[in-house]
Amino acid sequence: MELEDELFNDGLPKAYYKHNDKGQYVLETEAPWAEKVSVALLISGNRANLEEIRKAVIAGQKSPLCYYMEMRQLEPGMLAKAAGIAVFRAKRHLRPEIFAKLKPSVLNRYTKALRVTLEELKTVPNI
Amino acid sequence: MTTELATNGKPFVHQQAAHCETGVTSALFRHQGVDISEPMIFGIGSGIFFGYLPFLKLSHLPITAFRSKPGSVFRKAAKRLGASFVIKTYRDPQKGMDELRQVLKTGKIVGLATNLYWLPYVSERHRHNFSGHNIIVLRETDCGFRICDPTFALVDCTADGLERARFVPGPLNPRGHMYYTKSVNPHPDLRGACIKGMKDSCNAMLKIPIPIFGVRGIRFLAKRVVKSPDKLGFQEACRNLAGLVRWVEETGTGGAGFRYMYAAFMHEAAGLFGSAELADLAEEMDAIGNNWRDFSVVSARIIKKRGKEEATFVKAGELMLTCANREEAFFNNLQKVVRKLKA
Repeated sequence: MELEDELFNDGLPKAYYKHNDKGQYVLETEAPWAEKVSVALLISGNRANLEEIRKAVIAGQKSPLCYYMEMRQLEPGMLAKAAGIAVFRAKRHLRPEIFAKLKPSVLNRYTKALRVTLEELKTVPNI
Repeated sequence: MTTELATNGKPFVHQQAAHCETGVTSALFRHQGVDISEPMIFGIGSGIFFGYLPFLKLSHLPITAFRSKPGSVFRKAAKRLGASFVIKTYRDPQKGMDELRQVLKTGKIVGLATNLYWLPYVSERHRHNFSGHNIIVLRETDCGFRICDPTFALVDCTADGLERARFVPGPLNPRGHMYYTKSVNPHPDLRGACIKGMKDSCNAMLKIPIPIFGVRGIRFLAKRVVKSPDKLGFQEACRNLAGLVRWVEETGTGGAGFRYMYAAFMHEAAGLFGSAELADLAEEMDAIGNNWRDFSVVSARIIKKRGKEEATFVKAGELMLTCANREEAFFNNLQKVVRKLKA
């Protein structure tokens, strides 16, 4: 319940059409309950997923690229196209041992596509 | 309602809208002196649609569109209302930003398609990697641009953030999609435009011979929803269902997958033509909207695991099938009624 309140009190309410008693349609900004529930489920799922990947990166199972890809809501195919790198190469770069050997010229392409700095791309935030 | 100045000092009135593209289009027309509401634009531009695209995914969930292709509502509505307009895309971000500044200097307000994820003022719950969010740029300020986002509010945005949102590298690039009206017809032929829009919507919902679009698309998805817990497992099926509910209620639909907005349009059109048949159809569309709302409530109950006997995936699928049957009857009736109307 707290997550729903946190998400929906962001100061950017959306408007919904509603049929009032006089037969007119008016806009109101109270979000339907079903929407709150499903948005909260999806966002908590996304957050948990990101956290899991962060831990996997720290444990050395995944490359930091994987974390930033998830953070920007991308998939390997989209990431590869955005960086201008072949999809099979981008998928290989999700493995930590291969990512560690990458040249700066390749890393720079990823930093441009993901909008992170080179130092950030090599590590994940350690909370 | 708030007022804000455009570049040439002309006051611009910000009105909250439910959907981004229809909101932008109606604001562009209103700024030029044609008072037209958001639902009217939605109906004239044939915004209502259904399409289930399982092969396109946004954050691992399939896309379910309750509206026609982004960009088409403005194009169709502007054409049918007899406005002359410009639509442009760019390869080079620098050129795109320069031309935006030039057009703003001539005193026009400009509609842009941007990526929601990269707009700096957007909060977490709206942050999808979706490249069809429409905004209006009012003027350039010292630290960026003054922006009217009809779905949210009047905001400031940095030039850098706006450039990124307009030109996201990758397959979702909006390529700086920019549009504005050069001139509008001060007395548009509303009746003719409404008839064209309704006919087009009927064809889109009934006549596309591919099973994932229109009324057949709703049936296709209903079957998938019923089967989903067996195929994907309960947890994943819930996630898929939540994604669907978000497409129905959240993505600027004005509630119930644009069905309430279309009902508002039918209501207005009934007043315009003075037709009792259209008024009846407006009531029917409102009832269909309520049906979609029921579907999302049942889905939310499944997700929350409340009332396990009555809230099941089978029940949700049944509600969708009812929606499909009612919509098919609705658009068949609308087709018959529209033939009798005179522009």
